Amino acid sequence: MPAPLVELENVWKRFGRQWVLRELSLTVTEGEVVALLGPNGVGKTTLLRVIATLIRPQRGAVRLFGKPARALETERGWIGLVANPPAFYRHLSGEENLEQALALSGKPIARERALAVMEQVGLPAGRAVAAYSSGMRKRLALARTLLAGPRLLLLDEPETALDRGGREELVRVIRQVAEGGAVVLATHDHGFAETVATRQVEMQGAGA
Amino acid sequence: MRALVLALRDLRLEWRGRAGLLSAFSFIAVVLFIMGIAFGPDEANLRRAGPGVLWVALAFAGSMLASRAWALEVENETLDDLLLTPGSREWIYVGKLLFLWILMLVMGAFLLVLVAAWFYLPLAAWPQLFVTLLLGGTGYTVIAAFYAGLTVRLRARDVLLYLLVFPMILPVVLAAVKATLGIAFGAEFAEIVSWWKLLGVFDVIYLTLCVLLFPGVIEG
Repeated sequence: MPAPLVELENVWKRFGRQWVLRELSLTVTEGEVVALLGPNGVGKTTLLRVIATLIRPQRGAVRLFGKPARALETERGWIGLVANPPAFYRHLSGEENLEQALALSGKPIARERALAVMEQVGLPAGRAVAAYSSGMRKRLALARTLLAGPRLLLLDEPETALDRGGREELVRVIRQVAEGGAVVLATHDHGFAETVATRQVEMQGAGA
Repeated sequence: MRALVLALRDLRLEWRGRAGLLSAFSFIAVVLFIMGIAFGPDEANLRRAGPGVLWVALAFAGSMLASRAWALEVENETLDDLLLTPGSREWIYVGKLLFLWILMLVMGAFLLVLVAAWFYLPLAAWPQLFVTLLLGGTGYTVIAAFYAGLTVRLRARDVLLYLLVFPMILPVVLAAVKATLGIAFGAEFAEIVSWWKLLGVFDVIYLTLCVLLFPGVIEG
């Protein structure tokens, strides 16, 4: 049986007095692509951020790669998170953003490699991210994912703003990551979830 | 190494945006102008006020820059990416500290020249002034970078930063002002050195504490 990469057990998370996640349990094993579905405000993004160890739940246990979330150090570098919209330094060019992100993760790359991956995802070189469209930012996030090679990829509405070519590239990247790891994505698009996910989780008010 | 990469990247971002530097330099110019007018043309008055004006201007402008160091992450929504990097998180603090420290030294050197021109600070004693700037500036940036990181996620961060930083840096500012006064009025070298030693002790204590506490503080 494949190893669980994500184990959430009875997780509760609230902001102020509002519970966003309640009694939520979820296990994601290697090779899985899990699509989180549900209306706005149901807690999909919060769940992704809990898995990414960026926010700590009030109750419950979060284990990643077989370790408690709080004990992660090197393993944090195995997590790839693509927010919606993806975050980049606006005054840096696409390739500079890629170089910086990889260098700070302790995996420095050459400029040529960054440029090659940008070409692969159909992005021009030398342009500041401030001048990128939403779709181009999504493509740059794909390029970053390809370069970083995460074992656990977390995607927040990754398909939005992408054209057909971009979506095809996205599906290819998701499948590539899932070969040696797992992907959890939040989406409203049931068709996209059908295409790419091996399991769909319908979230309702305050939990799954 | 990653801390240096982060500091250099922030310097590049600041250079391209220039928002923080421009505000800090404009602020300094305005403070010096107002203080210069307020103290009048009397040389003795200006000479006595010079060290205080220097460090007050540097402290306020430094807080603006400290806030800016973390605002770069807030504006670009990239704080999460930094927090997701592998390993312990002290290097994030050290990187921000280095960025702020370099800006503070540049700004401090610029300020020294202006204060020397208007408030009769003896630029001939520049090595001593520079050592004071180095020690006082380091103590200040260590605290300011830490508290700016602590408040980065808060909406009222700019107000809170001043409230948190200023009580903590009081000993540093006082010792730096005393050392600068000593230099301005030709005090004995041993007296100036005693203030430097005090600043050095503050720097080491504050730096050790901030590096140790930062990983716990930045966690969400």
